[in-house]
Amino acid sequence: MAPKPEGKTRRVNSYCYQCVAGPDLLTVDVEDDVATVVQPNFDAAQVHPAGGKVCVKAYGLIQKTYNPNRVLTPMKRTNPRKGRGEDPGFVPISWDEALNLVAEKLNKIRAAGLLDDSGYPKLAASFGGGGTPTAYMGTLPAFLGAWGPVDMSFGSGQGVKCYHSEHLYGEFWHRAFTVVPDTPLSEYVLSFGSNVEASMGVCGVHRHAEARARGIKRVQIEPHLSITGACSAEWVPIRPKTDSAMMFALIHVLLHEADRNRLDLPFLTERTSSPYLVAPNGFYLRDPNTGKPLVWDKAAGRAVPFDRDGIDPALEGEFSAGGIELGADDDRWSHDNVICKTAFTALVDHVRAFTPEWAAAVCDVPADTLRRIANEYLDHAHVGETIEIDGRTLPYRPVGIALGKTVNNGWGGYECCWGRTVLACLVGALEVPGGTLGTTVRLNRPASDRWASVRPSRDGFMDYPMNPTAKGEWYEQPTARSGHTTLIPLVANSPWSQALGPTHLSWMMQRAGAEHFPPPTAPEVWFVYRTNPAISFWDTGQVTEAIAKFPFTVAFAYTHDETNHMADVLLPDCTDLEGLQLILIGGTKYSEQFWDYQGVALRDPAAAPQGEARDFTWIATELARRTGLLETYNVKINQGAACLPLAGENYDFSLDPEKAHSVEDIWDAVCRAASADITDGAETDGLDYYREHGLRVRSFSRQRWYLYPALVEQNLRFELPYQERLKRIGIELGRRLHEKDIHWWDQQIKEYSPFPDFEDAPKIWEEALEKNFDIDIADFPFWALTARSMQYSWGGNVGIQMIREVADNVAGHGGVILNPATARRLGFEEGDRIEVRSPVAATYGLVVLRQGIRPDTVLMIGQFDHWATPYAKDLKRPSLNALTPMLLDLTDSTGSGADIVKVALKKVEAGA
Amino acid sequence: MTRWAIVADLERCVGCQTCTAACKHANATAPEVQWRRVLDIESGEFPDVRRTFVPVGCMHCADPPCMHVCPSTATGQRQDGIVTIDYDICIGCAYCAVACPYQARFKVDRPRYAYGDPAMENELEREDPARFGVAQKCTYCSDRVDLGLANGLIPGIDPDATPACVNSCIADALHFGDLDDPASNVSGLLDTYEHFAMHEEVGTAPGFFYLTEKAVDGRPLDTGAPETTGGITMKGVEPWLQQHWDARAAGNFMGGGAGAGLFVFAALSAIFAGTALLPLTVGAIGLVGAGLFLVWLEIGRPWRFLNVFRHAQTSWMTREAMMAMPFLGLAAVAGILDAAWLAVPATAFALAFLYCQGKILEASKGIPVWREPRIVPLIVTSGLAEGAGLYLLAAMVFAELQVFSGTVSVVLLALIAGRYLAWRDYRRRLAETGAPSKSLEVFDRMAPHFTILGHVIPIILVAIGLIMLEGPPIAPAIAGALALASGWWFKFDLITRAAYNQGFAIVRAPARGNGPAGPGVKPGWTLPEKVG
Repeated sequence: MAPKPEGKTRRVNSYCYQCVAGPDLLTVDVEDDVATVVQPNFDAAQVHPAGGKVCVKAYGLIQKTYNPNRVLTPMKRTNPRKGRGEDPGFVPISWDEALNLVAEKLNKIRAAGLLDDSGYPKLAASFGGGGTPTAYMGTLPAFLGAWGPVDMSFGSGQGVKCYHSEHLYGEFWHRAFTVVPDTPLSEYVLSFGSNVEASMGVCGVHRHAEARARGIKRVQIEPHLSITGACSAEWVPIRPKTDSAMMFALIHVLLHEADRNRLDLPFLTERTSSPYLVAPNGFYLRDPNTGKPLVWDKAAGRAVPFDRDGIDPALEGEFSAGGIELGADDDRWSHDNVICKTAFTALVDHVRAFTPEWAAAVCDVPADTLRRIANEYLDHAHVGETIEIDGRTLPYRPVGIALGKTVNNGWGGYECCWGRTVLACLVGALEVPGGTLGTTVRLNRPASDRWASVRPSRDGFMDYPMNPTAKGEWYEQPTARSGHTTLIPLVANSPWSQALGPTHLSWMMQRAGAEHFPPPTAPEVWFVYRTNPAISFWDTGQVTEAIAKFPFTVAFAYTHDETNHMADVLLPDCTDLEGLQLILIGGTKYSEQFWDYQGVALRDPAAAPQGEARDFTWIATELARRTGLLETYNVKINQGAACLPLAGENYDFSLDPEKAHSVEDIWDAVCRAASADITDGAETDGLDYYREHGLRVRSFSRQRWYLYPALVEQNLRFELPYQERLKRIGIELGRRLHEKDIHWWDQQIKEYSPFPDFEDAPKIWEEALEKNFDIDIADFPFWALTARSMQYSWGGNVGIQMIREVADNVAGHGGVILNPATARRLGFEEGDRIEVRSPVAATYGLVVLRQGIRPDTVLMIGQFDHWATPYAKDLKRPSLNALTPMLLDLTDSTGSGADIVKVALKKVEAGA
Repeated sequence: MTRWAIVADLERCVGCQTCTAACKHANATAPEVQWRRVLDIESGEFPDVRRTFVPVGCMHCADPPCMHVCPSTATGQRQDGIVTIDYDICIGCAYCAVACPYQARFKVDRPRYAYGDPAMENELEREDPARFGVAQKCTYCSDRVDLGLANGLIPGIDPDATPACVNSCIADALHFGDLDDPASNVSGLLDTYEHFAMHEEVGTAPGFFYLTEKAVDGRPLDTGAPETTGGITMKGVEPWLQQHWDARAAGNFMGGGAGAGLFVFAALSAIFAGTALLPLTVGAIGLVGAGLFLVWLEIGRPWRFLNVFRHAQTSWMTREAMMAMPFLGLAAVAGILDAAWLAVPATAFALAFLYCQGKILEASKGIPVWREPRIVPLIVTSGLAEGAGLYLLAAMVFAELQVFSGTVSVVLLALIAGRYLAWRDYRRRLAETGAPSKSLEVFDRMAPHFTILGHVIPIILVAIGLIMLEGPPIAPAIAGALALASGWWFKFDLITRAAYNQGFAIVRAPARGNGPAGPGVKPGWTLPEKVG
C-alpha cells in the first residue's frame, strides 16, 4: 500500500485499560479525522515497564469505535415484559428524554429515601473488569459519591472470576490485593494455574519473557497446558482443585525432610508469628498485664512478650509457661503453668501427615516430582543472601509462587493462599527482592500507598480493617445485598469491598431470600456499565432471570447485549477512543505492573463520537444537574473523585461547585492539578500539555515494590503461619449469626481455623452437586474448567471481528478442548459438535483435540454462549458460565466459589 | 550490501497475536488476511507435551520461488532482500501463492469488510483498490524502512523505521535487522542462539530465523527425531488444501494435456497415414483453448492477461503461454490448410506446451505433491496417453482415422505402461521424501481405481483390439476413453483434492527458561520412509 502523505496524519495519545493488567500507553494515528492505526507509545518506552507497548486487545479499539452494531442513540424500552424471549422493543429517543427518564426515577428515590424497607440501597450499580471501567467512566464516581449509598454487590464476575481468596488473605497477610513473583529478580517460580501469559497483560508477558531469557525456571502446575504452561520450563498436569495437597506436601518436605538450617530461621523468628506460644485452647499465650503474645526467651529460659528488647526467642519447641489466653468475645483463660508449643512447632506437627506420597495419590503427581520441586524451590531460595535496591540492602530470595483464579477461589482457596504464603515465609521470600510480592491494596487504605497502609496491631502484626464481629459492633444489618459486612470480616469495608463480597449471594437471594436475613429486594434503579453479568457470571440462566425482574435498568450501552436486553434505557457513551480522561499510572498496580515511575496519562479522543454517543463526564454532569446534586458532585470532583484532588499544598484548581462545567474544563482542571502534584507545584500545565505529551511522571523507588522495609521500619511481623485472629473472628461471627438464628453460614464458619486442614475439594464439589441437584455424580464424569484468553478477557471484545479473527490462531478458542484418549473413548472426532452438560445446564461447542489436557478434564476458553450480542451470537461458542452453579455449599468463608463443575459429554447433531 | 531479516525468539513468543493485529493495522489488510500471524503448535503426547508459538509470514527468501514463477514480473526482489509485489502489474494468477512454501500469499478479489457491507469509516479510509485481485503479502513494512532510512533512522532500532509487527511485540520476541551487517542486532542474535529457518529443505533460503536456545560452544545440537502430534489435527498449521487454484485451473491441465496430446496423434496420423488434420485439430485447439480460457476466468485481473508473457526467463507459466500461442496459431493454419508439414512445428510446440504444464507444477514449491520432479514425466505421459485415447475415440466417429488406429493403439499401450511406471515412480518418490498425509490419502484412495481402470483394463482392451482386428475398434476406443478419463481424474484430484500445501513445521522446540529445548514437529506429514 502506498504510504499516506504524512501531513494528513496526526497522532493522538491514549491509554488502554481494558483489563486489570493495565494501564498501558498507546498512540492512535488519525487520517482525515478517522482513527486508523493503534501503535505502542514509543515516547514512553523508557517510562512504561513494558516499553510503552499494548497487547492485542488495544488493536481492537478501531473496530470497536466504528463497529456498525453500536448503540448510537439513547433508547427506551417499549415492551414492559422482560426476559430472554421478549423483544425489548427499543426505540430511539433524545438525550434529553433519556436523561429525564432516568432523573425522574432517581429523584423519586431521593424524595422517598435512599434505602428500602430491607435497608438496602435503592440504587445499584455494576461495573465489570476488576475496576477498570473507572478509567472510562469519567466523573461518574463523583456522581455516585454525591448520591450516597449505592449497592455495588451485583457482581459481574467478582468472587467467581477474580483472585478472590487471594484478594482477602493477600491484603490481610501482606497488603497484597493480588500476588505475583518478583519476576525481574526471580530464579524459580511455582505457578499453580496462574495464566500470566494470557491474563497479566503486557507487563506480565514482558517481565516473564525477560526472565526466561535470563534462565528462570517456572513450573506450571495445571490440569491443562495453558499458554503459560507452554511458556514454562515444566508442566505438571495436576488433578483439578487438588493444589492445596501439593502445597502441603511441599511444606512437609521443607519442614520434615530438609535440613532445618536451610530455612530462613531469622526471618521466621523475627518477621513471623512462628515463635509465638500457642496455648491449649488454640490462642496465643499472652502476658496477663499487657495482653501481648508471649515467646520463649532462650536466654532467660522463660516466656516474655514478643517485643521485649534483647530476647532470643525460641523458634521451636514445647515450653511450660503461664499467662492468659484471649479467645472470642470475652472468653479468657488463665494458665499458671501450661505446656505451649511455638506456632512453628505447631506447624511442623500440622503438616506431618502431608507427605509427598500422600499428596501423590490426591494430586495424581508422582511423589518424586513433588519432592524434587520442593528441593528445587529450596535450592533457588538463596537463604542468607542480600541484594542492594536503590541503596538499601535487602534479603534476596529469588523464589516465588503464583496462584491462578480457580486455585485460590472457593473451597481450597484458604489452604492454597496460606500454603503459598507459608512456603514464602519458610525461606524468607515474602515481600523481599526476588520473592513473592503483593501488588497493590484495595481493601486497606490508603489505596495509593502500600507502605502507608502498614499500621501496627497490638500483637505485633499489621493491623487490618476487619468488619467487626464483636458483640454490639457486628453489622447485623447488611449494607448491600451480598451481606458482605455481615458475613465476611476479611472483606473489610472500603469502596471496593462491596464488589468483593459474596456477590453471587446478591443474585441468589433475588430468587430466594435467606432465613433471618433482610427480605430480598430488587434495586429500584440499576446502573450497568461495561459488564454483562448475564454472560459473565455463573448460572447465567438464574442471573438473567433476576435481571429481568429489576424494575428499572439503565445501561450504558456499547451494543445490544444479554444484560441490556432487559434494560429500560440505553445510554450510548463514548468508547475508549472517543472519550476524554486523565488517570493515574505507575507505582505498583495489580498483575505485574511494577513501575519505576508514577504519574498520570491522558486518554485524548482520537475519533469524534459516533452517532449520539456522549462523553461519560458529560453524562455524569447531566445526571448530577438533573438530580439536584451538582454542587456535591463538583465538590466530589474537587476532592479527588476524578483522578486526584484539585487542590493541594501550593495549588488550587477547584471547580466552582455551583456551575455545570464542560468536559474539557473539568479535565483541564484535573490536568493542572496533576501537573502541580507531580512537580510539587512547579508546573501547572493543563489539557494541552497532555494532548501533546500524553503523560507526566516522576520517579518511584523500587524499594517500594517490597513491603518488607515497611515492616522492618515498624518492627512488625507477617501474621503467619498461625491464624489466631481468624480463629477468633470465626468463633465470634458464628456466635453473632447464631444469635440471630442464622445457621446457613455454618459450613463457612468452620473454615476459620488457625491452620487450614486439608479439604478434599473435588469431593466437596461432587457432594454438593449430588445434594443440590439430585443426581448421581457418576453420570458427570469430567471436570470442566475455563481459562482466560488475552484476546478476549475483560475487553468486551466478543463482538469485534478482528479479535475473533486473530484469537482463532490460538488453539481452542470457541471449542471444547479434550484429550484425544477421552475423545476416542467417547467416539468423538475433531470438529464434532458436542453437548457439555452439568447438573445446571448445557452448552455446546466443537471438539478440539489437544494432548495438553488431562483425560479427566475438559476446557472451554473465555466466556461465550451469547444470544443477543451482535456478531458474538452467531459464533455459537460454548461457555462454562452457564454450567456452573451458584450454591452456598460451594461458597467458602471469603464468599467465593470456583470456576469448576462436573459435566457429561455427548455428541449432538450439527445445528444444536 | 544489506539484507533485511526477522529473527523470532521462540523462547520469548507467547502466541498473543499482538503482531498479527498490529500488522493488520499497519497494512489495512482485509478480514481473514494475515500477512503476519502466530501459529500454536503442539507436539508430544500427554503428559509429555510441548506447545510452541511460531510467528510466520513471508520469509523474504533469498531464492524466492514466488518470484521465479511469477509470469508478470510483479513479484520482485529488492537489493536489500525484501520480496515485493507490484500491484499494478500482477495478473492475480496466484501462481506465486502455490509456489510459496510458507502460505504467505493472499488474494482478495473484491472488497471484504469486517461486518459486511457497508464498510466502516476506517475501512473506507484505508481501502486500496490496487490490491483487489492481485497477490499480496508481508512487505517487511518496506515503506517504513525506506522512510526511516531516508530520515537517518536505523531499521530494527528506531520504531519509525521498523516493521509494525516487530514494534508491537510485547515479549520482544521479534527482531528486525541487517543480516549482512555482522554487528547488527539480528546477526548478534544468530551468533548467540541456536536457530533454524523453516522448511530449509525446500531450498528457498528464508530471511526469517527462529531462535530456540542459547548456543553453547562444543555442545552438539540435538535436533532429535521430529515429535509426533499425538493424533491431533492442527488447523492452520498442518498442510491444508490449497484454495488458490480450483477446478478451472484443473481444467487447464486436463484440456491442455489432452488437447496437446491429441494434436500430436492427429499430426502423426496426417503425416504417416494421410488422414485429414482438421477435425482433430479443431478438437485439440478447442481443448487447449478451453483450458486457457478457464485459467483466464480464474485470474484476478483478467484484462492484464498480456502480462503473462513478461517473465520467460524463469516462469513456466510464461513459457506455457509462449508455447500455447504458436501452437494454437500453427495448428489452426495446419488444420485449415490440411498441411501436414505445418503440423510438425505445431507438434513441437504442443509437446513443449505439455512439458511446460509439468514444469508449472514442479515449480510450485508450496505444494509438495506438485513440486516432486517426477510429476513432469507423469504429466507428459498422461497428456500423450489422453491424446492417444481421444484419437481412438475419435476413430469411432471419423472412420478414416481407423487406418492409423492400430498404430495409435500400440503407442497407447506403451504410453499407458509408461504412465503407470511414471505414477509408481512418482508415488514411491513421495514416500521417500515425505508428503502431506492427506495428499497421500487422496492418492491412495484413487490409486487402485487409477491402476485398474486407467491402466490394467485399457491394456487388456488394447491387447484385445490388437488381436481382434475385425470389426470396428470398439475395444481400443474404450481403452482410449479410460486412458483419457483416468488421466483427467488424476489431474483433477492432483489440482483440487490432493494439493495440500506445505503446512508449517519446526525443526526444534525452544527452551523455556531453564527448561530444555526439544525435538521439532512436522504436523500433518507422512515423514520420509527409510530407503534401502
